Amino acid sequence: MRRTYAYFTSLLLILIMSMGQVHAQDTIMIPLKIKVGLEVSGPITYSIEKTNLKAEGYISMDLDEKRSLVFGAGYLNYQHSQYNYDYLNTGVFIRTGIDFNLLKPEKSLGKYWAGIGLRYGLSRFTSEVPSFTQENYWGKTTSSIAKKTNWGHFFEVSPGVRAEVFNNLSIGWTISLRMLLYTGTGKELKPIYFPGFGYGGKRISTGLNYFISYNIPYKKIRVISKKEEPEETEDTEVPANGQKPPAIR
Amino acid sequence: MRQYVPRNLFIALSGLILFLISCGPESCFEETNAFVKVTFCLNSTGKAVAPDSLTLYGINMDQYKIYNKSLKVSSALIPLNSETDKSTFIIRINGISDTLEFSYTSYPHLLSKECGYTFYHTLDTDPVFTKNAIVKMNIDKRTITTINEENIRIFY
Repeated sequence: MRRTYAYFTSLLLILIMSMGQVHAQDTIMIPLKIKVGLEVSGPITYSIEKTNLKAEGYISMDLDEKRSLVFGAGYLNYQHSQYNYDYLNTGVFIRTGIDFNLLKPEKSLGKYWAGIGLRYGLSRFTSEVPSFTQENYWGKTTSSIAKKTNWGHFFEVSPGVRAEVFNNLSIGWTISLRMLLYTGTGKELKPIYFPGFGYGGKRISTGLNYFISYNIPYKKIRVISKKEEPEETEDTEVPANGQKPPAIR
Repeated sequence: MRQYVPRNLFIALSGLILFLISCGPESCFEETNAFVKVTFCLNSTGKAVAPDSLTLYGINMDQYKIYNKSLKVSSALIPLNSETDKSTFIIRINGISDTLEFSYTSYPHLLSKECGYTFYHTLDTDPVFTKNAIVKMNIDKRTITTINEENIRIFY
């Protein structure tokens, strides 16, 4: 994942530095929007692989030019099979929190977002291990773990980027870094994968979400834009006698 | 605004690169069996000393030896049968045979997505053993897992 973060950091810097030139001004009008979005990588992956269905959507509302309130929900139907076990997990999740736009208003213009989201997630899932095998000196043992429903809690930090590419239509992506708080399954039978969180075998999980959203402007606000101070070109070096040189008129 | 579109598309689509490089199959490199880890100690000194010769096998499994006249085994790994609640072994230390029986409860444990599930065990009672070569036994840890930590000490 180290390479992933390196790419992400580079892209974020490129975005922040490359958002076009804006003329200095005192105030700008920023449209506040309600956004309705869908995560698209889950359905695309499902249409290709026909195995694990992950569907997720969100609605967000801009509170001001920097902050948005976000509520997301999703569904997971996960199955994993390999030579020594089968695993099933089905359930739903909700995620709620705040997005912070790190771009200045004169750069974002209400259309561009490069920032970080903080979320609390709650997941309700039913997991089952229809069969698993273990082989040792005494031979092969085949067993199963019965279906059980649990609640999972997690916290998520999701930096990312989003850009309005057409009128009121945005696309973007986020990297999700999730910290597991509680699964209710006990330490012996942690969920291999559960809705909203991902791989539950470890305390931290990562993911990549790809979103497309429709934006509905509902209000415009006036935001004060700070003028950029011109860089000083005069040599202000203080002479050895400690007195400032006389101002040139 | 038109000038922004190709660049913004590029930025948004750059996530695809992350998606591609973040995916990859992984393999299981962990220990997948839980063993009773036994350390051998010389009763006269109390220090850990490997026996000159060790033979170990499950009862009625004498054609499949876990250790067969193995030399200088300082720490032995004993597998328990997950389908039963008792496992009995014949243990021969320096040519002298004893019987060793473990009583336990088994329960499933997730190792990892890559490795799957295994059985861990909890020793319900102290192991029962004959005292031909074995003098005494100390229990250090009753939970039998894949973690490399000593469970019992056999004094001979």
